[in-house]
Amino acid sequence: MSSRRSRISEEEITELISKLQSLLPETRSRGASRASAAKVLKETCNYIKSLHREVDDLSDRLSELMATMDVDSAQAEIVRSLFRS
Amino acid sequence: MAISNAAGDPAAGNEGGGERKRKRREDPPVAKWRTEGEQKTYSSKLIEAIRRVRRSSAAAAAATDHSRSRAVRVAADRALAVAARGRTRWSRAILSGRKLKLWVRARACRRKPLGNITAASASYSHTTRKSKPPALERKARVLGRLVPGCRKLPLPTLLEEASDYIAALEMQVRAMSAIAEILSAAGVAAAEPM
Repeated sequence: MSSRRSRISEEEITELISKLQSLLPETRSRGASRASAAKVLKETCNYIKSLHREVDDLSDRLSELMATMDVDSAQAEIVRSLFRS
Repeated sequence: MAISNAAGDPAAGNEGGGERKRKRREDPPVAKWRTEGEQKTYSSKLIEAIRRVRRSSAAAAAATDHSRSRAVRVAADRALAVAARGRTRWSRAILSGRKLKLWVRARACRRKPLGNITAASASYSHTTRKSKPPALERKARVLGRLVPGCRKLPLPTLLEEASDYIAALEMQVRAMSAIAEILSAAGVAAAEPM
């Protein structure tokens, strides 16, 4: 099998990898130079896992909050705050 | 999918009719997840979903903290997938439901002949594995498991899905944090003696 893949080029993959890298938090804050593809993939996996954990924690918090309060009046408050900013 | 070129390069559109058809399905730019409008729409949908969860858990006697939290998580994910407007695989996978995926996978497993499974998979991986280093291959597989509905995708598609998914998750976190802040502030205000 030749090294040239059908319709997929090395440049495309490199481009996508660097686009992915620009989304990662470390790169955004430090403006790091291009890392290896393997490192970017690993960082991406870690980042997605941490985002999942955050969402789980937030779900816990929200389910606690909604159990203890009157969501209807809170909803009015939320709608107001959301559209105020 | 030459998605990144399609935006600015007019020549890309001439690469056969297939390219033009694919243009309609091209992934929306990741920047949309960062707009305020998107987050506000998502927030209001999420609040509605939370109210529904609250109502149904109040009715159900067996509602535990954990089941409520899971219900919120599921509602948040579904609302996020809806916000993607069906343009990405991960969103379609979430909306089609996890039960369906498990069922499909179970059927596929049963169809494989049990006897030759090791020989078959060994030869399969030899023919399909391109000249990618195995470390990259492994990490790509892990990534494919993390993004919903993206297990068997080729690398470029997987990378695009992952980019969009990350941006969407960030918005989800921002929106849920904001709602939690407002709810807890409102709770404090309500608890104060009038």
